[in-house]
Parts: sequence; C-alpha cells; structure tokens
Amino acid sequence: MSADNDDNRPDEVDLSDPKLSRFEVYREGLRRDGIEILHYEPRYPKPGTKLEKRMERIVASLFFGSGLFATLFVAAYIFWPWEYDGAATWRDPRTWYTPILGITLGLSLLLIAFAVLTWAKKLLPVEELVQERHDGGSSSEDRRLAESTVDTVVDDMGLKRRPFLVKAALLGAAPLGLAAVAPLGGLIKDPGDMLTVTGWNGDKHNGGNPVRLMMKDGALVRPDMVSTGGQITVYPAIEGGATNEFASAPTLLIRLRAQDAEQLRENLYPMYQDVDAMWGDFVAYSKICTHVGCPTSLYEQQSQRLLCPCHQSQFNAIDNGAPIFGPATRHLPMLPLDVDDEGHFFAKSDFLVPPGPAFWNRPSLPEEDEQ
Amino acid sequence: MKRRKGTNENLMTKAGGELDDRFKLAGPARVLMNKVFPDHWSFLLGEIALFSFILLLLTGTFLALFFEPSMTHVTYEGSYVPLQGVGMSKAYESTLNISFEVRGGLIMRQMHHWASLLFMAAILVHMMRVFFTGAFRAPRETNWMIGILLFWLGFFNGFTGYSLPDDGLSGTGLRIAEGMTESVPFLGPWVSAALFGGAFPGDEVIARFYILHVFVLPLALLALITVHVGLVFAQKHTQWPGPGRTEHNVVGYRMFPNYVMKQVGFMLLVFGVVTAMSGLFQINPLWMFGPYEASVVSSGSQPDFYVMFMDGLIRLFPAWEFRVPPYFTLPAVFWPGIVGMGLSVLLPLLYPLLERRFTKDRGHHNLLQRPRDTPARTGLGVMVIVFWVIGVVSGGNDVFAQAFHISLNAMTWGGRIGIVVLPIVAYYLTYRFCLGLQQHDREVLAHGLETGILMRDPEGRFYEVHQPLVEPDERGHTELEYSGATVPKKMNRIGVLEPAQRGFFKSIEEPSDEDGRRDQIETGNKR
Amino acid sequence: MAESAKRRRGWRKRLGALARFTGALVIVGGLYSVFSPSLYAQEAEDNAVDSDVVKGQELYDTSCISCHGDNGEGVDGRGPSLIGVGTASVEFQVNTGRMPMAAQGAQAPAGDPSFTEEEAEWIGAYIEYLGGGGTVPDDLAALVENAEEAAGGDLYRVNCSSCHGYAGGGGALSSGAHAPSLSGTTDEELYQAMLTGPQNMPVFADNELTPEQKADIIAYVQYIVNDDADPGGVFSLGRFGPSTEGVAIFLVGITSLLLATLWIAGKS
Repeated sequence: MSADNDDNRPDEVDLSDPKLSRFEVYREGLRRDGIEILHYEPRYPKPGTKLEKRMERIVASLFFGSGLFATLFVAAYIFWPWEYDGAATWRDPRTWYTPILGITLGLSLLLIAFAVLTWAKKLLPVEELVQERHDGGSSSEDRRLAESTVDTVVDDMGLKRRPFLVKAALLGAAPLGLAAVAPLGGLIKDPGDMLTVTGWNGDKHNGGNPVRLMMKDGALVRPDMVSTGGQITVYPAIEGGATNEFASAPTLLIRLRAQDAEQLRENLYPMYQDVDAMWGDFVAYSKICTHVGCPTSLYEQQSQRLLCPCHQSQFNAIDNGAPIFGPATRHLPMLPLDVDDEGHFFAKSDFLVPPGPAFWNRPSLPEEDEQ
Repeated sequence: MKRRKGTNENLMTKAGGELDDRFKLAGPARVLMNKVFPDHWSFLLGEIALFSFILLLLTGTFLALFFEPSMTHVTYEGSYVPLQGVGMSKAYESTLNISFEVRGGLIMRQMHHWASLLFMAAILVHMMRVFFTGAFRAPRETNWMIGILLFWLGFFNGFTGYSLPDDGLSGTGLRIAEGMTESVPFLGPWVSAALFGGAFPGDEVIARFYILHVFVLPLALLALITVHVGLVFAQKHTQWPGPGRTEHNVVGYRMFPNYVMKQVGFMLLVFGVVTAMSGLFQINPLWMFGPYEASVVSSGSQPDFYVMFMDGLIRLFPAWEFRVPPYFTLPAVFWPGIVGMGLSVLLPLLYPLLERRFTKDRGHHNLLQRPRDTPARTGLGVMVIVFWVIGVVSGGNDVFAQAFHISLNAMTWGGRIGIVVLPIVAYYLTYRFCLGLQQHDREVLAHGLETGILMRDPEGRFYEVHQPLVEPDERGHTELEYSGATVPKKMNRIGVLEPAQRGFFKSIEEPSDEDGRRDQIETGNKR
Repeated sequence: MAESAKRRRGWRKRLGALARFTGALVIVGGLYSVFSPSLYAQEAEDNAVDSDVVKGQELYDTSCISCHGDNGEGVDGRGPSLIGVGTASVEFQVNTGRMPMAAQGAQAPAGDPSFTEEEAEWIGAYIEYLGGGGTVPDDLAALVENAEEAAGGDLYRVNCSSCHGYAGGGGALSSGAHAPSLSGTTDEELYQAMLTGPQNMPVFADNELTPEQKADIIAYVQYIVNDDADPGGVFSLGRFGPSTEGVAIFLVGITSLLLATLWIAGKS
C-alpha cells in the first residue's frame, strides 16, 4: 500500500500481554506476513438471522443431494443391467448404463461442488486484505553472503587453481554422458529397402516368381471379377500379403470404361508404355497416397478421380493417377499388370517408383521429374 | 456438548503440538494459510487444466488395469457382434473389452478422453488470458515458457493416447505421422525405422507409445506442472490495476479458508462437468472403426481438435516439392508438418524475449494490462487465433463440406487464401478497435459519462449532457489520469442509478451501503 | 444469351455457396447439425416386379426424356444413357427422390420421390426392356436374415468406409459431390446402390461382391446405423468423429466452466 496507508498499519503487539484477544494475536500473525486487513466482517452481521439459516439449509440440502446421487450411482453401477449383447435400441435398459452412470455421478459431483462453493461465497466472512509483494532479487547483503559462499566453495575445490583437473573431469564425463544414451542405439534399424520394395516384389517375397493379385479373403483375381466402372482392393498373393506386414502393397484395381481406358492409354507415361502396364481396360494404382500415406480409396467412377480422405489430394485415374488437386505432388504408381495362363492377374514387377510418401533419397525416374 | 467441544479443541492443539515438535510447522503453516490471492474469474482458467489433469491420472490408472499394449494378433471373441471373429491386435481387443466387458469401463474411457480434450482446451484458453493481459512479462517469462512446453507435452501425450487403441482411426493418424517423419531430410527414414522398429506399422510402436503415454510424458507433465504452480505461488499472482493496487502488493483474500474452498469446489465442478459429459456425449466409438489395416480408411478421418490445426496446415499447403533428381527430394509435407510444428513450438516459447527486445521494456510487472492498452500485442494475438482457427476448420474441411454442402475444393481454396489474408485483416481491425476503445476511455475521463439526455441550448443547438466523474473545472473538463483500470461507462456504475448488481441471471450479492469505498472502487479515484 | 445466362447462374451458384459457407460458421447451424440425427425413415418397399413397359414409357417420355433422350440413349452434357442400367438402378434413383433431378448440379441429392413405387417399377420395366441390367434378388430378406455382420464389417471397411465413413455418416467427395449418409436406408436401396453404382459410386456387381457378401454388408450397415443405439451416450455428436467432439468440448465444457468462473470469482 502507498505511504499514507502505512500510518494506519497496526503496531507490533507484545504477545506476552495476557489481555490480548484471539483476533489481536491473529492480526499480529498477519502483520508479520506483511498482510493488512482492508475489510473484514461477517457475511451476516447478526448471527442466526433468517437469511443465514436459509443459506445454511440450502448448503446442507446440496450436500444431502450429492450423497443421494452418489448412492444412486453406486446402486446403478451394481444393479443396472449393463452387459452388451447385440444391437439394442434406447428401449433396452442396457443402453442406458453409461448415460445413467455419467448423469448420477456427474450430478453428485456438481451438487457437492455447488455446496462447497456456496459455503465459500455465502457463509464465509466478507474480506479484503492486502499483502506486500517483495518483488525482485534478494537484498544486496544476501547476495554478498551467497557470493562469498560460492567463491569459498569454488576455491576449496581449487577449480581455478587446477585447470587441468577440470579439463580431465570434463573429458571423462562427456563419454559417460554418451554411454548413458548409447543403449538407445538399440532402437536404430537400417531402413534398408523398406520404403522402396513392396510385397509385389517377386524376387524378394515369392521365390523369384511374379506375384499374383488376391482379394482380402485370399481369392485370386480374374478379369471377370471386376465389372466396368468397378474397383476392388487387391493385395499381393503371398503369405500375409493382406496384413499390415505389407502396408505399402495395397493396390486399387480399376476396370475403366472403354473410352476412358483409351484416353489413359494415350496419356500413359513412357515408363508405363515400355512395360505395358495396363491390361485391357484394367489399371492398378497403388492405394497408398503419395502425400503422407493414407489409402487413396475414394474412386469416383464418373469424374474418374481418386480422392484421399485424409488431406483431400485428388488424382486423375485416366492420366497416370497424376495429382490434380490438394497437397500431393506425385502420381500414384501403377502396378504393371498381366494375366497368366490360368486366367489370374499377376504383377509383372514391383511398382516402378516407390509408393507412398516421399523421403529425401527417394529414387525417381526421369518421366516423373517432369511432372 | 460444551465439554466435548473443549476436548476436541484440546485434541487438535495436542495433535498440532506433536506435529510441530517433529516438523516445526507453526511458522510455515501460518504463512501458507495467510497468503493473499487476488480474485478474478480469468485467474481460474489454468485450474481447469490442472483439475482435468488430476482426472486424467485417476481415469488413466483405471484404464491401465485393463489395457494391454500389445500388437499380438488375436481373434475377437467378445460381445460386440459385428466384430466377432475378426482378427485384430491385442491392444484393440483389450480396448473393446474395456468398452464392453468391463463394468463401467466405457464411461471411464469416455471420461479419460473428454478430460484430455478439456485439458488441452483449457490450456489454450488460459494461454490466451496470460498473453492478452501481459502476464508473461518479467519476472514471469520462465513460467510462460513452461506453459508452452506443457501444451506441447499435452499435445504429444494426447497423440500417443489417441494411437494406443490401434483402431482404424488411430492407425491412420500413425500413418500420417510416419509420412511426416520420413519427410525430414537425411534423418527421416532412419527415425521412422527406429520408431516403428522397421517398416510401418511393425509390431512395436504401440508398446513404445504406451510407455511414453503412461510414464515418460505424464512424468514430465507432472514435474513441469509442479514447477508451474510453484512459481505462481512463489512469484505471487499478478493482479488487475485498481484502487489501492500497486506493483508492490497483492489485494485479495486469504488462502484459507476462502481460496482453498473455492478451489476445492471448482475442482469438483470440473470433475462433475467431465463426468456428466461422458454420460451424455459419446466420444470415439472405436468399435465402429474396426482394427487398423493399411488399406482401410474412413471419410472424415480427423485427429483430436488440438492436433487438427497441424492437419489443416498439411491439407492447405500447396503441392510444392523440391527435387534435385535423382539425388534429393524435399516433400511438401516437410514445410507445414516439420517446419510448421517447429515454429509453433519455438515462436510462442520465445515470445516474451522477442517482445522485450521490441519494446525495450526491462522492468518487472505485477499489474496486468488491459488488452486495449497494448493494441499491437492484442492484434498479434488475434492474428494468431484467426490463423489457428482457419487451420482447425481446414483440418475438418471435409466434414464442413459434407455437413453444409460446400465443394471440398472450394473449402481448400478458401482456407489457402483465408489463412494468408484474414490474419492480416484481423490484426488491422483489432488494432483499430483497441485504439477506439482507448479513445473512448480518455473521453469519459475528460468529459464524463454520456447520460443519454439531450438538451437544447438557447441558440437552438442540441447537446448531450455528460456526467463528469469528479468536480469539473470551469470549462467542464476533468483532469483524470488513466490508470490502466476499468473506466466506468454506464451511469449505474457510478451510483447515479441503481447500484450495479453482480450476477448472471439474478443478483448474487447484496448491494453494499458503503458509499465511500464504493465510489473509490468504481471511479478508480482516491478520495 | 444462353451462355451468359448460364454463366450468371454459375456466379449465382458460387455466391450461394459463399453465403452457405458463411451461414455454416454460425454456431446455431453447427449445433443443429451436430445434435439432430437426420433420420428420415423410408418405408420399406414392396419389391415385386410387375412390368408394364408401356405405362413406363409414357412416364419416361414425360419426365425423363429431356435429359436421358429418346429410348434412353442419353443427351450429351445433360444425362447419361440408361441402356443396360436395369431396374435396380431406376428404382434406386426414383424411389429415393434423386431422379428426376430438380436442377443440374454436382450430384443428384436424395429427396421426396416424385413417383409412387408402382410408377417407379413401370419406368424400371421400360428401362429393363431397353436393355437388361441388374435386379435385386427376390430372396434378399432371407439373405440378410442369414448374413454375418462381422464379415460384412470387414467388407464394409475395405470397400465402403472410405466414402461413407466408418459410422455410415457419409463423406465429402471432390468438387461439391458427396457420399450420402446411410441412416434410414432400406435393404433394397443399399442393394440397388451397390449393384448399380449410382453417380460417382463404383459398381459392385455380383462378380465383385456376391449377393451373399452384399447381404453381409447390408446386415452390418443396418446393425451399426439403424439397429444399435450408441452405447456411449445420449448424443452421438453426429458420429462425425473428433471434429464435432472438439466443437462439443468448447461449446459445452469450456463454456459451462467459463460461466462457473464468472460466478465463483469477481469480474474486475
């Protein structure tokens, strides 16, 4: 408080004075903590008035209400039917288990909260106090004492006189610090070809034979399994081919309408022309978005777009899966298709460029760099 | 009756004495109980986050009793019919079991999730309060930085928690995290291989995220929260300017009983709101998402709201990829995903130092500033909020597009243009708005309040009668200094009309008859 | 003249979209869409096909011919050819009110049907007469009865959720098109839609998904969308996922607690 208020501050009292009231002793405690009472009076000047009694009753009933709902919560927790057992509408009491628990426990907590808060707001004395704030650093005396203490410690250790020892200690501790984090090296793994080779690579995953296409349930894919304007998700027909073990292998096999297929043929990049990547009206695009890897699985059969639902990249299914909107920068790699003697689709090779999100040393073909 | 009371008092005195003999508590306990706290609604926002955190620890411990962080492949045999016989990881199976087989497990899961959203939302609101009032200035820069770190720890703890169930949605989030990680030049593929133990998704990431989610990050959060609250305690809370309030004092009420009772009540209130929400609103119905499969995705796949602005930035960023064929590629996602996140950590962290550099204000400040008095900072804050909100909305732009039948492409373009243009517009408008408010404050101080009473002088001119705040000089002017405190703007604020009554729906306090003090408080003027 | 009128219409449409976008930001609208479950129930339809090609042609020539052309041959830029689409497609489009289209747009929205189910069957019979196409099996009810929800769920997630969402709430497609919500759809409509691939939806004919697999998917969709109430709470928040959950934490959680702080503490 400002200087003129300092004059009102109560003087130090002599605590040994037996005539002191409790309040005077209490105020002396405040004074020693740098606190002064600006305003302090009971909320209800006359104790026991109607108003005060009423407030006490309200608080008490809030406490009782809280206890009631807590009891209801425990009862519902124990006795309400809860086990999930097939589809159920709101007419089934089991569906209400979670809402009932939330509402009863929530109300119990809210009521006890209101009880405590009302007590604090309506029954505690009206008060306003002011406390000194000792901002800033320590006193210059304290600082001087601390400085000399630190200096003495430094001197005792001889840190200034023995520079060689200090250097030796640092040289010794640094490798030890490294040793502490070194076990984390167990996490390090060579990424190797994990980003470039997929389950479609027959040399690595199928004993040198080309990999066939299969559906999720393991059925091999034949051309007659896809109708015009249709699409299916295909996986490499190897062990675990449809599992997350081969997370960059999922591919979308699309059968285009004849005129759309014709258009795609005209647009085909040279690298896909060279390997004859399409088979009839069929084309297979990697399902893994070249942006950050979500499945690009929204095939719009009228507008011939492939949309990724994560970041809205859009690819043109009749132009090599080239990106036409959104944050993706590279086309969806095409899986070179063919059909074997038994009439099953197989991949002539792995994707020509790595599918999925890019990384710094991602190999790319010249055609791609022109995009 | 009386005798029992006496015994009780004796007992307490005795117990206190025994404790003090051992721990020497009398002095510190008195200091603690007497400590004075300032009173303002905006000082309670950080507590929402604190209490949510306590609830997160409680519910999280319950969930950990049942959750198994394992990617071992199992076949679901539980009671949720549409998944019976479906292959999935143990993590997903145990999460389903918490939802369907554990009595009361579902509400605990929902409470944990709602509390985490409330934790992050409260941090944001609290951060805005601290920013706009200048509470981060010296000597409290350290605590601001700790607060920013708390936000980011919460961010990553939330993301790891979102990933743990290994359902379709969380797996999609992990996949995006993988793509972002790999975009880092030189290190990316190595970091990704280290995180996932080889190719994505591998079978180790859930166990790794689990230890981060339940031990490493919560421990760091707990430690920093302790320091954060401890520093508020040690440095004493800031306060609003007002009569009798200076840089060198704190005006308010005592820690005991007033402050502590309000805090306990508020804590129970936060618990109650989260619990009631968990019973009323379904959150993250992961039984519908199915197990994570790399080829499966859902429309409207979003992260939780506090990650959504990152997702929005990634959606909006144009398809700019930098290539030096065939040696080097810098993917587009690197800029919003890695650089954007880095700046989102760094710039807020350093803001107090940057502001100090620009304003050259090196003093200590314990009185808060009204946002209107620092138009540049307020403008900057609103600018960041607008930027953030556009990011968040763009993170859910497909849901917006679908719900309101707007073209998705238009949403993206709107976001791209909006995120560049609107923050600048917001800054300008906020700046002008602050100046206008300042001007009005000065007018009231110089000429008095507008009474709304129109008069006509003998020459026929109309004028409005002003009520001066103090006795005016002969020219009708009053010489009042602006003190940084609220200036009364309505007649009832200075007691001309009915005294101002506080309360939302109805009056919550008896109007005080103390004329002198009331005047002093409301005119900001000492008698 | 026509060109400029069209352009003006285009502008008006874009302005309209902008206005809608602004309106979208109004919280009330947001609240409404979050909390109101859009369950417009459809009456189960009688699937008996009783062809009356002539009656169908009469209806076709008054209501469909302007866009789909003489004998269903299609009109360039207005409507596709209908030869070979079959009765399932016609009945799906007409009974859900998607056809006849009120105005050319990115996609035909569902609405109140303009024809009775009987009339739709007639038109279907006429289109069938023009050139084959898929039909809904007569024993669909039995197929769905014996279907397995879990198998259907697996198929749903691979083939359907990317557009219609995990919870069947629908989703946005490119350039203003969208995949509709599946709530309130009948078994027949689901089957017809899979079979014929209306508009941008890919075709899932019997060679991609056998009738049994389609029945599995139908059983799963009916289970999660129409039969099972949300066990997690009274409000499902539209099953939109984290975006509406984020709105709820601010509108309900933060707002109620802010009001509480105003009550607990002083105002300035």
